[in-house]
Amino acid sequence: MASSRASSTATKTKAPDDLVAPVVKKPHIYYGSLEEKERERLAKGESGILGKDGLKAGIEAGNINITSGEVFEIEEHISERQAEVLAEFERRKRARQINVSTDDSEVKACLRALGEPITLFGEGPAERRERLRNILSVVGTDALKKTKKDDEKSKKSKEEYQQTWYHEGPNSLKVARLWIANYSLPRAMKRLEEARLHKEIPETTRTSQMQELHKSLRSLNNFCSQIGDDRPISYCHFSPNSKMLATACWSGLCKLWSVPDCNLLHTLRGHNTNVGAIVFHPKSTVSLDPKDVNLASCAADGSVKLWSLDSDEPVADIEGHTVRVARVMWHPSGRFLGTTCYDRSWRLWDLEAQEEILHQEGHSMGVYDIAFHQDGSLAGTGGLDAFGRVWDLRTGRCIMFLEGHLKEIYGINFSPNGYHIATGSGDNTCKVWDLRQRRCVYTIPAHQNLVTGVKFEPIHGNFLLTGAYDNTAKIWTHPGWSPLKTLAGHEGKVMGLDISSDGQLIATCSYDRTFKLWMAD
Amino acid sequence: MALSKRELDELKPWIEKTVKRVLGFSEPTVVTAALNCVGKGMDKKKAADHLKPFLDDSTLRFVDKLFEAVEEGRSSRHSKSSSDRSRKRELKIKQMMEAATRQIEERKKQLSFISPPTPQPKTPSSSQPERLPIGNTIQPSQAATFMNDAIEKARKAAELQARIQAQLALKPGLIGNANMVGLANLHAMGIAPPKVELKDQTKPTPLILDEQGRTVDATGKEIELTHRMPTLKANIRAVKREQFKQQLKEKPSEDMESNTFFDPRVSIAPSQRQRRTFKFHDKGKFEKIAQRLRTKAQLEKLQAEISRAARKTGIHTSTRLALIAPKKELKEGDIPEIEWWDSYIIPNGFDLTEENPKREDYFGITNLVEHPAQLNPPVDNDTPVTLGVYLTKKEQKKLRRQTRREAQKELQEKVRLGLMPPPEPKVRISNLMRVLGTEAVQDPTKVEAHVRAQMAKRQKAHEEANAARKLTAEQRKVKKIKKLKEDISQGVHISVYRVRNLSNPAKKFKIEANAGQLYLTGVVVLHKDVNVVVVEGGPKAQKKFKRLMLHRIKWDEQTSNTKGDDDEESDEEAVKKTNKCVLVWEGTAKDRSFGEMKFKQCPTENMAREHFKKHGAEHYWDLALSESVLESTD
Repeated sequence: MASSRASSTATKTKAPDDLVAPVVKKPHIYYGSLEEKERERLAKGESGILGKDGLKAGIEAGNINITSGEVFEIEEHISERQAEVLAEFERRKRARQINVSTDDSEVKACLRALGEPITLFGEGPAERRERLRNILSVVGTDALKKTKKDDEKSKKSKEEYQQTWYHEGPNSLKVARLWIANYSLPRAMKRLEEARLHKEIPETTRTSQMQELHKSLRSLNNFCSQIGDDRPISYCHFSPNSKMLATACWSGLCKLWSVPDCNLLHTLRGHNTNVGAIVFHPKSTVSLDPKDVNLASCAADGSVKLWSLDSDEPVADIEGHTVRVARVMWHPSGRFLGTTCYDRSWRLWDLEAQEEILHQEGHSMGVYDIAFHQDGSLAGTGGLDAFGRVWDLRTGRCIMFLEGHLKEIYGINFSPNGYHIATGSGDNTCKVWDLRQRRCVYTIPAHQNLVTGVKFEPIHGNFLLTGAYDNTAKIWTHPGWSPLKTLAGHEGKVMGLDISSDGQLIATCSYDRTFKLWMAD
Repeated sequence: MALSKRELDELKPWIEKTVKRVLGFSEPTVVTAALNCVGKGMDKKKAADHLKPFLDDSTLRFVDKLFEAVEEGRSSRHSKSSSDRSRKRELKIKQMMEAATRQIEERKKQLSFISPPTPQPKTPSSSQPERLPIGNTIQPSQAATFMNDAIEKARKAAELQARIQAQLALKPGLIGNANMVGLANLHAMGIAPPKVELKDQTKPTPLILDEQGRTVDATGKEIELTHRMPTLKANIRAVKREQFKQQLKEKPSEDMESNTFFDPRVSIAPSQRQRRTFKFHDKGKFEKIAQRLRTKAQLEKLQAEISRAARKTGIHTSTRLALIAPKKELKEGDIPEIEWWDSYIIPNGFDLTEENPKREDYFGITNLVEHPAQLNPPVDNDTPVTLGVYLTKKEQKKLRRQTRREAQKELQEKVRLGLMPPPEPKVRISNLMRVLGTEAVQDPTKVEAHVRAQMAKRQKAHEEANAARKLTAEQRKVKKIKKLKEDISQGVHISVYRVRNLSNPAKKFKIEANAGQLYLTGVVVLHKDVNVVVVEGGPKAQKKFKRLMLHRIKWDEQTSNTKGDDDEESDEEAVKKTNKCVLVWEGTAKDRSFGEMKFKQCPTENMAREHFKKHGAEHYWDLALSESVLESTD
């Protein structure tokens, strides 16, 4: 091309010489050929250098990217991401299924148990709950359960390892014990003597007496029924002279009734909740001054009150129980008062010293009933752990363990013969234990519902009275333990029963707010 | 007259020579051609024709000579065939002959030194006597030295081997196998293992090496050590097999040799069976044993009781308990001198008759308060009871709606994210035109078939899901049984019924069948008009059984109407007292005391009581009986 142009210029230069035809002059701009310059540049070998430099610069600037052979696999990456997303879906699904408490304090407790902050800045209960749910969906709900279980286990094992141990009580305890020993031993001697004498009575006389008694018992009849209050009556107790009956009511009132005409004598106001029991002092109405402490009662709030016969207000309160006191019972001497408490202990109070002399543990659940041996030497307790224990009040030792009931023991009583114990239990049976042989001698399938109370006839122990939630009370021969009479008539559960000290009258009180007196015709 | 290959081979060198002589140079093609001719048994003319191209004018001469040679060879084959065989064979024969002569000579020497040694053996002792004169080209003296050498070498080698063998034999356990292989090798080589000398066994020969690294003996002579070369496995196996066979053969023969027909195990039975005599035990022997057992059991029981009581009452040392425990067993009704719990605190020399004792010297009275070990109650009810959450119909619906919506949302999200393919459109007959518009128009039959197939598939999937959720027949059965059996670990519910007359088999059957179906255990004691039914089981089963006993069974209905004879009697009875069933007692106990429901006929009261007592449940019987007595007196 360059050469052609050169030739054209040559013709142009020729044309003025010819002057044949004026050629229109076209303005040609000639920039010159690059060819030679390029050739020169190439000959110098500059181009390569220039190109390399440019590449380098480009790479440095990041405009040219050259891989170092690494390969990025898209497929794998995607599947990984998919798995992540799916896992997240799973987690959300789990979170939906977890039930988290709506109680904020509980949520906080759970968070604490998991080692998470219980609250974040600006976090409300709803967010907190959501946070807990999310955490649980990650760690699993087992984490919470485990911590709870561990707590329980440690608690249990602590109890299991408990061994027999002793602690030193107050000095008054020793004094009291000595006193009891001195009190009980002559009584025991006397009782045994009487028993020997009774044994000397010829067999025929004894059997005829027994038959007579049975006959009279067979003819027991409902002699009087009285509505005691507007709440269930939980307990009844004859006065030692059998002229009065004390009833305890769930309304908190205790009432004294004349026997046998069932007139209201006194209303004892003082308790605020369900009264569990009210008992007469063993010497009350016999030799005790009416102004003195004649009665003791206990209530579900743990209050124990002492009453006199001439006042409607309590004479004194016994403080020291924090939970329900189920039963209260006088020691035969009248000096001590035993109370059973739902804090797994029973207490012995010295009323002369006016203090608690014994806080006795031993049951694994609440203690329900307590009874004292006629001699005053022993105490028997029945607990909600289905075990009974017989304690020697003088040495403080548990001398017999009554094991055999399946459910809670609600009633325990000593026979006046001195060696039989009867227990009534929630498994509908009544068991008779022999102290001398240290075993259960008989199981009476007594009732069709839980047995609330057992009582021996107080003079000779010739019969046994049981009351139960099947609305009946039953009389059983003793010994022999065959049914003599069913005292049916209550429309509600029989909650308490008593036999008058002369053995003539039987009182039962019931959930149907009445108490009934039963007497042989 | 075709010639064998061997003959041809023999002929070959001669032909080569002849060819060389006739032509003046060796020509293998001619040789082979000639051999071919001879081999094929051609006559002269034919052979000449055949060989003409190779030999031209000298053909005839060559053929003549060839055939001469062939004739010659054939005639001399019988006598002189070994002449071109290897020298080795000849040598061997010579050696053997020589050895034989030497042996004879030595024999003669030993026998009589008088006779002069014979230089040449007169009597041929070799196996090939006719060949001897032909091949005997070596001088006897030369042969002797030659042979001596060879024998010497062989002997030495053998000796060496024997020595090695002997040393190996010292440790048979270690390389017994190798030893065997070595011997086997020797056998295979045809050399008899030489007798091992005793002195060689005592110590190993020193290993001496010369400057070239060869093993030499004491005299400096090179010795050839046996190379323990790995031989072919097949050979080793063959040898082993041989040995094994040998052993097999040998073993029975030994037995046979020692006592062929004698088996010591078989005792010689006497001709007549011995009469057995009675062995009487001494009188009172078993009584003594029983007594001993009884006392032992009693003692154990007592000890166990004491320890148990000790544990329970919290007095942990049994010695202390022994102090308190009643000294002697009291019978029912006996009155003790002093109660045992009182006797424990009373010190010695205590005056019991004292009227008002004010003493302080009692034993064991302290101000210590005991904390006995606490036992957990038999019914462990510390598991918290959780109430189920019961929702109203409205709440149930709401919950279902919400969960389904959530699941649907999740599904949609997954589809949107491309985690799963979108579900194909759900087509029904009603929406087919809308969903598959153009296709449906084009081929309605096909589309309808497709839609119907999809519907059937959906239906099937639904039903399958339902079926999968269902329990199998077995699981259902197990579940039902589990439900019926109930949990009685927390105490068994017991109920006692008294039926006046339980002679009707239909009613008996009802009782038994129901008890069985409800998984109740117990007993039915039949005694005159006191029939006691005791059943044990869970609370629900008890409830059902109670309903059966007290309501469902009509006890007072007349049953024996069909029998004419019993009519009057039963009527009388019915008049006297109608049949009925009374619930005597219901309650709980720790364990079941009876097994599978059983009927027991007891003619006497004592027997019935005994039966109950056997199961530790006599109080049920007592109660039922006394209640019935009371009832009758009323």
